[in-house]
Parts: sequence; C-alpha cells; structure tokens
Amino acid sequence: MTGKRALTGGNSDGVVPDDGQRDVALAVNRLVRRYSSDVAVGPLSFSIRHGEFFSLLGPSGCGKSTTLRCIAGFESVDSGEIVLGGRNIEQVPPHKRGIGLVFQSYTLFPHLSVFDNVAFGLKLQKVPRADIAVRVAKALELVALGEFVARMPSQLSGGQQQRVALARSLVMEPPLLLLDEPMSSLDLKLRTQMREELRALQRRLNMTTIFVTHDQTEALALSDRIAVLSQGKIEQIGTPEEIYLRPASRFVAQFIGNSNLVSGQAERAGDTLIEIVSESGLRLAAKAGTLRPGPLTALIRPERIRLTAGEAAPECRRNSFPAEIRSRTYLGEDAHFQLLVDGREPMLATRKMTDDFAPSPGQPLMAYVDPADVYILPA
Amino acid sequence: MSVSSKLLRCYVYGVFCLMTLPLLVVVGVSVNPSARFEISLSSFSLHWFEQFFGRAEYVRALFAVSLPVACLAAILATTVGTLAAIALVRFEFRGRALVESVFMLPVLVPSILLGAALYLLFARLNLAGSFSLLVIGHTLIGVPFVIRVVSAGLTGVNPALEEAVVNLGCTRVLAFWKVVMPLLRSSIASGVIFAFILSFSDVNISLFLTGPNTNTLPLQIFSEIQWQGDPTIAAASTVQILVVTTLIVLAGRLSRKRLVY
Amino acid sequence: MSTSSPRKLPSWLWLVAPYLALLVVFLALPLANVLVLSFHRYSPVSIWEPTLTVENYGQIFTPYLSAITLRTFRIGLITTGLCVLLGYPVAYYLARCSKRAMTIGMFIILLPLMVSAVVGSFGWIVILGRSGLANNALAALGLSARIDILYSESAVVLALVHFLLPLMVLPLTASIEKISVRMEEAATVLGAGPVTMFRLVIVPLSRAGLISGVLLCFSIAISVVVISALLGGRRGRLIGNEIYDQVITAANWPFASSLAIVLVLSIIIAMSLALTLGRRKVA
Repeated sequence: MTGKRALTGGNSDGVVPDDGQRDVALAVNRLVRRYSSDVAVGPLSFSIRHGEFFSLLGPSGCGKSTTLRCIAGFESVDSGEIVLGGRNIEQVPPHKRGIGLVFQSYTLFPHLSVFDNVAFGLKLQKVPRADIAVRVAKALELVALGEFVARMPSQLSGGQQQRVALARSLVMEPPLLLLDEPMSSLDLKLRTQMREELRALQRRLNMTTIFVTHDQTEALALSDRIAVLSQGKIEQIGTPEEIYLRPASRFVAQFIGNSNLVSGQAERAGDTLIEIVSESGLRLAAKAGTLRPGPLTALIRPERIRLTAGEAAPECRRNSFPAEIRSRTYLGEDAHFQLLVDGREPMLATRKMTDDFAPSPGQPLMAYVDPADVYILPA
Repeated sequence: MSVSSKLLRCYVYGVFCLMTLPLLVVVGVSVNPSARFEISLSSFSLHWFEQFFGRAEYVRALFAVSLPVACLAAILATTVGTLAAIALVRFEFRGRALVESVFMLPVLVPSILLGAALYLLFARLNLAGSFSLLVIGHTLIGVPFVIRVVSAGLTGVNPALEEAVVNLGCTRVLAFWKVVMPLLRSSIASGVIFAFILSFSDVNISLFLTGPNTNTLPLQIFSEIQWQGDPTIAAASTVQILVVTTLIVLAGRLSRKRLVY
Repeated sequence: MSTSSPRKLPSWLWLVAPYLALLVVFLALPLANVLVLSFHRYSPVSIWEPTLTVENYGQIFTPYLSAITLRTFRIGLITTGLCVLLGYPVAYYLARCSKRAMTIGMFIILLPLMVSAVVGSFGWIVILGRSGLANNALAALGLSARIDILYSESAVVLALVHFLLPLMVLPLTASIEKISVRMEEAATVLGAGPVTMFRLVIVPLSRAGLISGVLLCFSIAISVVVISALLGGRRGRLIGNEIYDQVITAANWPFASSLAIVLVLSIIIAMSLALTLGRRKVA
C-alpha cells in the first residue's frame, strides 16, 4: 500500500518517479513468482506509461509469459506488487481486473458467432443491447472485419480469428491490453502485415499495451520500450535504439541482432582513444569516454564493419585490417560474410552485394571499423 | 480463483468419498468377527473369509464359473474384437461407418435385454443354464470395448511400417504379425483385462443365463443377500472387489507403458 | 485355368465375419425373436400359442404396470439429472488436474461400475438398513433422527447414481479435456467468474460428452434389475424387475417380450431425442 501511495502521490505532487514518466498506467514492483526453490521469476520492476507499447522480450522460459500471466491474474504472485491505474491488483481475481488479453492460440469461442464473441464481455457487464450492437460494430471496423459479424469462427482464417480476438478485447476498452505472442501462429507474410496494422491501431487508440514475444524483430518494430528478460530477470529496459545500440549486457548484445563480441585488455592510446588487445591479439581502437584501462568486452555490429576490396584508405589506417572471407551467405537484400580479421579474429560482417563488390570465399579484403562504432559493454 | 478452486476440490473429494464409502463398508464388514453387519475398529478377523472358502456354492461360483467364464469370454472377445478392429482401421470399404456403428450395438442394448432375449430364444433349445451360452453372452458385451481399445492402438501404428516390411518381401499377414502385433500388445492386453472385468462383474446377463450349477460370484452374492445370509456375503464381495481392483491397477500400468510408443 | 472363378471375397470380410456371426446369431436373432414373441398370445400350458395379438401391449396400461413404467422413467430421469449435477464438476476437476490425480480420481470413480452393482448395493444395504451404519452413527451422535429410505425409490436412486456416475463422468471428462484452458482464460479476462465461465464456455463446448453421458445413464437406469431388486422393495419395483419375473417366475414370455420391446423403444426415442436436440443447438 505504501508503494501505491508513493506512486500516485508522486504524480499529483509533480515529483518525477524514478524512471522519469509522469503518467504511469501500470507499475510492477519487485514482483516474484516462485515455482520451486531454484526456479523463480523476478524480482522484476518496471512501469509503463499511458499509451505506451511495451514489450517483454526474451527466449522461451525467460519468464515473460509468467510475468504477463501474473498481471492478468492467472498466476499468483509470491511477493511484490502490481499497480494498475493507481490500484493494487495482486489480490483481485482475474475476471475483475478488466485487462484485455489476446492469446497465442486461437481462443474464439467456437460455438458463438463473431458478433457474440465480441459481445461476450459486454453482455456480462449488462450493457444495453443497442449499445452492444454499436460498440461491437465499431470494434470490428477497427480490425477491418465489419462484414464478418455473422460468421462462425470456423469460417475465418487464422489471421481473421486473431483480429476478432483483438476486437473482443478492444471492445471492452481495457485500461491495459496484454498480447501473448498473438502472431506467432500466423505465417511470416501475414505476421508482417498484422504487425503494421497492430502498431497503427495501438497508436490511434493510444492503448497501453504489453506485448510478449521471443521475436526480436517484432519487438524492435513495434515497441516504444522493450524489457529484455533472461532467466527470470530483466537484463535491460530501453527504447529499441538503446537496446540495439547500447546493450546493457553480453546477453542483450547477443540476443538482439547479430553481434561480434571482442573480449580483451584496454590500454590508453592517446587522449580520446583506447586500444583493446583481444585474446587473439587483435588491436582495436575505441572511443575512450570514461573508460579506464583493464579487462572489457567490445561489441561491433556486423553492419558497421566496412568491407572494401584492396588497400585501406590512408585516412582510416587505424582499425583497418586485412580480412579473409571464410564463407558467404547470400540473403538477397544483403549478404553475411564470415571473416577472419587480421589473420586471427573471426567476425561476422554484413554488406550489400553490388556489381562492384561481389567477393567470394578466400578473397582478401580490407575491413575497417570506425572507433565510434566500437561499443564497450558495461562491466 | 483460488477460493472457487478450493470449493471445487472439496466438492469433488466429497463425491470421491461417496463413491468409495459403500465399498469400504463392505470390506469393513468382511473383517469384522461378529455375525452382525457392522464395522468394529477394535477387532479384526478373517473368519468370514474362511467361511467363504469353506462353502461349496461360493467356491464353485468363483472357481468353477466366474473365473473360467471370464477367462474364456475375455479371450474370445479379444480375438473377435481384434480381428474386427484390424478390418475397421486397416481396410477401406464402402459402408465402413455403418459397420462400425453396428459393431457398437451390444453397448447400446442394455445387458438385461440381451440376457432376456438370449434366454427367450435359447431356453427352447434347453441351452439356457449352459456354461457356453453364458460365455457367449459375456463375449458379446466385451467385444465393442476391445474394438475401441485396439482400434485406438492400431491408429497409432504407422501403416508405413507394415509397408516397409512388405517391401522387404514379407506377405502382408506376416508383416502384420511380426511388426504391428508387438506394438499392439499393450492395447490387446488392456482389451483382455477389461473384457474379463465386464464378464466377471456382470449380473444382468447371468441373471437369465445361469442355471443352478452355473451361478457366477456376483449372482451368488445377489441371491445370498436376498436370502439374508451372514457376513460371508461381505467376504465374497471383498473378493470381488479385490479381483477387479487388481485388474484395474494392472490395466493402468499397461496404459502408462503404452504412452512410450 | 478357369477364368470364371467366383469373385474372391474381400479380406476385410474374413476379419469381421466372426463378430458379424456372433451379432446375427446371438443379438439380432434373439431380439427379433423377442419382437415376434411380443405379438403372440400367452398360454399357461405351452407358454405361448401361435395366435397374433396386441393384448400384451394393452396390459402395460393397467394401473399396476403403468405405475411401474412411470416410476421407471421417473427414476431414470432423476438419476440422470443427479449424475449430471454430481458428474460435471467431477469431470471438470479430472480434466484439469494433474495426470497423477486424474489416474487416481478415475480409478475411484470407475470402481463402483467395475466391481458390480451387486457389491455396491450390498454396501448401501449395510449403510441404510434399519439398524445399519447410518442409523447407528446417528444414534451414537445422540440424534433421534433416523434414516429410513431402504426399500424405497430414494435408495434405488442413490445406488443407481453411485453405480452410473462413471458413465457420466467418463464422456464428460473426455469432452472437457479437449477444451483449451486458454478458452477458459479468454472468458475470464472478459469478466466471467468461475461459474459464469463454466456455464458459457465449458457446458456448451462439452455438449457431445453430455449427450452420450445422459444417454448411457438413462438407458441403463431404466433397464436396471439388481439394484431395484435389492434396494427398492415393493415400493421400488421397475420394469426390469417385471421383465425378470415374467420371464423366470411367471413364464409369461409374450408379456415379458412386450415389456422388453417397450424398453427398447424408450431407449431409441430417448436417443433420437437427445441427438436431434444436441444437433439443433450446435447448428
């Protein structure tokens, strides 16, 4: 209860809450869900602004679904609190929380028409019939399925079923919408299309949304902020850019996108640069910033490695290495090159293939990394 | 959520108690030394079991009628049912759905009607009290069950397995015998067990088809209750409970093994 | 060498032949015989004489027998209703609990059916008798109230429910198992409490199991002999007892046959009723 007062009070007093957001829709504080003595989720803390699209991202078994199910009320909470709209809800039974939830599997009631599915919650709330008709029609319009009111779920495609399921949640105008990998049973093309529709809809309705996914592309494309989870703990919370460009840990760096991680000792190399000597002996310069000499790990994204045929240009002699292509994977838009850099360090680089640049395995190249593109992971 | 699930659990446990209560009472009475139908927590005696094994009509009912009839009926039902199940699962033919529902008829016809109908036809031929008619009646109620269990097992065996063996030069029959039968063993075994139980615990068919010398155990218990016998009834009932319980547990073991396939 | 050899019988026919033969000789023929017998006149000397008549069916409308018929259907309906009420929560519990709990629960539920109606009935006699366990327990608690339902319809219903509950629980559990837990959760987040969820989701989606459970319970309840003979007394006689007595004791086979036909017809009617009702609601 004290936590709740602190949060709501903080808002009205204009005191900025710890994460800098004024209008918190949902706050999860030190949430713990234990399964056995050694398997547990949490303690987790995060808060979500009104209208924010927040993703819980992580590999399967990381606790993201458990977190979602705790918020929905299907899992009991061992300790910690969940504050929705200024109210503690850990003890509120799931059917009284009023939270919207769309599942991974198709969960339309097969014995009810599309209309009755969408009207299900409204009827339980004893909304007048005329209002139900209006609100259902509106909700189905939102997901562009207005003309399917009379169909049965079995007559709809998987994508349409998930859209009706979304409408069924939206029609209740929930303070919070939970999406549990809602697109993972759809095929890739449909998934991309629905991703865009979902984003547009969420923006238009300004619907506070928590999205659970193991698909980093989905999370990066949709989210305002992402929480990356691993083994029941939050590794990092941040915008997609922060997560991608400035990962807080080795796990995040490896989980999001492709990455080259170079571990080694840092040494001073001038006023603004340090030099990292990797375990294989590669000498890599990086922006010094506040770094001190010592052991560290550097991240270089594959698309930041510039590959050129022939000699290195004189102005970028530093961090220019001879590289040899060990294998090449052509992916259409661009290609992945497995390199051996400086004869010692294996790295992955991506680059478009052009008429001028179509190297094949065994061919020597120059690889250049701008010191500003060498990101040092926090210890 | 948790309150209602607790309520549900209490309700269900209540029903479980109700379901086991009469059987527990029977067992309790059977080990009670007094001649009254009561349960005593202070004394224990196998007196009524001695009585049970000492009385010719009980011993005959169990060892000369119930057990042999159930064994024969189980073997017959399993043989006939397995053959029919193979036809239903492995062959495509017109009217298969119809044949399938016809095969389930003995389940739909209440067994007392089956018993009465068999009696009314075969009493004329003086076959009514005969051992063999009893076996056939019990076979009939077992077959639909065997068909179901074996069909389910057979559906789980990939036909490609047989085809592979046939391609290696086996005849189809031999392929089936060598490859599919071993995989079906546990389904067939549970078929045998349940056909046995159906026969062993039947009263409705026995009611009509048993003669003075072919009383089954349940029927013997039935008439003893009607003639207000002593607690030997309880001992006999306990024997019935023990046999059936053992078989169910055995069948449970088998079905757990089947999951491995 | 001959090309006009008779067409070979398909091999599946050989496989089903033994069972078909059994069904024809020991099910179809006897039932046909019952149908034919039911239209013959009873004779105290030769049991039946070759005169066709419908008077056997007429006898059913005598006050004595119509009372028994009505009682049979009443008990059938009450038993089935109680089995639904008791069985639905149990089936739901079994479908949703752990595998281990389900094995044990199923065992407990199935036991009365498997062990034989005679044993269960005996247990109820011991419990319900005038100086039975229930009354002894009441007396021991210092209560003057007495349970006196042995040899009445209530005792028959109690023992029938005990015996038939498995036949309701089994198909219901199978149906409910197929309903995804996510479906329940979807209803819950939309505001349905446990009872509402059960009514709006579980019940409609387990209709197939309900129909087969109801049919099984009802058809066996109305054709029961042993339980009513042991627990019903004079006040609890059912059609089954009448059939048994007419066949074995009175040797009035034509009349017994007509009763059997009435029973079969009732079951067929109940079946088609349940199936059409079930189909209409689904469509």
